[in-house]
Amino acid sequence: MPDAAAAARRVSSWRQFKAILRKDIVMELRTKEMLTSMSLYALLTLVVYQIALSQSGSGFDIRLIAAGLVWLAFVFTSMLGLNRSLVHEKDQGCLEALLLSPVDRPVIFFAKSIGNLIFLLIVEIITVPIFAVAFMSGRPIAGPFWMIVLSGLVGSIGIAGVGTFLATMAVNARGGSFILSVLFIPLMYPALLAAVAGTSAAVLGGPGYVDMFWRSVGMGAGIDAIMLLAVYGLYEFIVSA
Amino acid sequence: MTGDSSPALAVDVEGLVRAFGARKALDGVSLRLPAGAFLSIFGPNGAGKTTLLRVLTTLTNPSKGSVKVAGLDVVADAVELREKIGLISHNPLLYPDLSAEENLLFFSEMYGVEEPATRVRELLAAVELDHRRFDLVRTFSRGMLQRLSIARALLHRPEVLFLDEPYSGLDPHAADILDSLVAQVREQHTFVMVSHDLAKGLELCTHALILAKGRVVFFEPRENVDETAFAALYRSTVGLGVA
Repeated sequence: MPDAAAAARRVSSWRQFKAILRKDIVMELRTKEMLTSMSLYALLTLVVYQIALSQSGSGFDIRLIAAGLVWLAFVFTSMLGLNRSLVHEKDQGCLEALLLSPVDRPVIFFAKSIGNLIFLLIVEIITVPIFAVAFMSGRPIAGPFWMIVLSGLVGSIGIAGVGTFLATMAVNARGGSFILSVLFIPLMYPALLAAVAGTSAAVLGGPGYVDMFWRSVGMGAGIDAIMLLAVYGLYEFIVSA
Repeated sequence: MTGDSSPALAVDVEGLVRAFGARKALDGVSLRLPAGAFLSIFGPNGAGKTTLLRVLTTLTNPSKGSVKVAGLDVVADAVELREKIGLISHNPLLYPDLSAEENLLFFSEMYGVEEPATRVRELLAAVELDHRRFDLVRTFSRGMLQRLSIARALLHRPEVLFLDEPYSGLDPHAADILDSLVAQVREQHTFVMVSHDLAKGLELCTHALILAKGRVVFFEPRENVDETAFAALYRSTVGLGVA
């Protein structure tokens, strides 16, 4: 028997992580499949908001519901995009090829989650300024902008992690396309609540808004950590079941 | 059940059961294959051939039993084992939106192949795809995809090569290239091939196995195989009766 180690050496998880992430970014930049569909969907959601709020009158303070509206758009947009994120791995058996390589399953999970997080953040960067111009002109946010960024990041990490996990389940299960749609919101409920509360505190301000912000962001980060640890432990089982 | 009892076993399976709910896709499979052998696995659709291959390649965990490939347990030593095995499937297992070279370089990174650029060039030349190395895989014909898939499987010089219906859908030229590549690396590798093609499978193998309803109904070294009786047994398992 030939010595496989002569041709191949034990590769580090970090190197494999970078290879998967780079591959996903190259493929997405080449096809623009996720970014285009997610951006369009987010913009269409804003158009629906415009219609829904068209009769609300000039006295209505959009800031009261701005955080909820923005996160609603992100949730539905990410459900669409994340469902696609694992589908190209299924084409021509690519996921099997990836699983056949000497890589710890959590490395695949983290690489795909970070890739999805990057794509989601890009869509958010496109969507938030459009939302601000369309709905919040003349109504500035109360808190500093970094608060919006931080609450957005904490919420997006949870969405990308849980979404990637559910998308993997979906591609491995018969009729799996419903899994993401049905399980995503129940699983994300506490994290989304924290993200909306944090963003809302930054937008509305008022007495004690900084405390409220940190409490919400801290809770969101804690929920992210718990969910990501749970998903980390379950990923091997999901892909080998 | 018989088989070679050489101490250097490439595949050592004992009492393998793989159940999906109440249904047993593999029901007490046992086999021992010496290093350097070529095993051809035959059986009707639904016999459990693909499930057996998935368990041997660590893609599916066994429900019960002990399974070792290249001396490593498919569950406990899965990551280490994956460095020693390769799979050529009827599915190309390649990214359509990457070029041929990008695909092989990506998998070189995953396997930690030394001097990846040189190895990729060498394999692309071997499968006669050097001139298409910058082209996206989605533009390739079925035969070209299969040739590139062979290159991907050989990239890290695996000890045990699994072939899942590798000749399925190949044009004669691609089949010749596959034959030639198998012949080139035949001496250094153990092969496990799933096939419906009796003639091809028996031509290549040192051991033949028939699987039916998740059980081994025949497993013998090639020299003990009477082709007529073997064909009759195979036909009976696929529901055609004895010829």
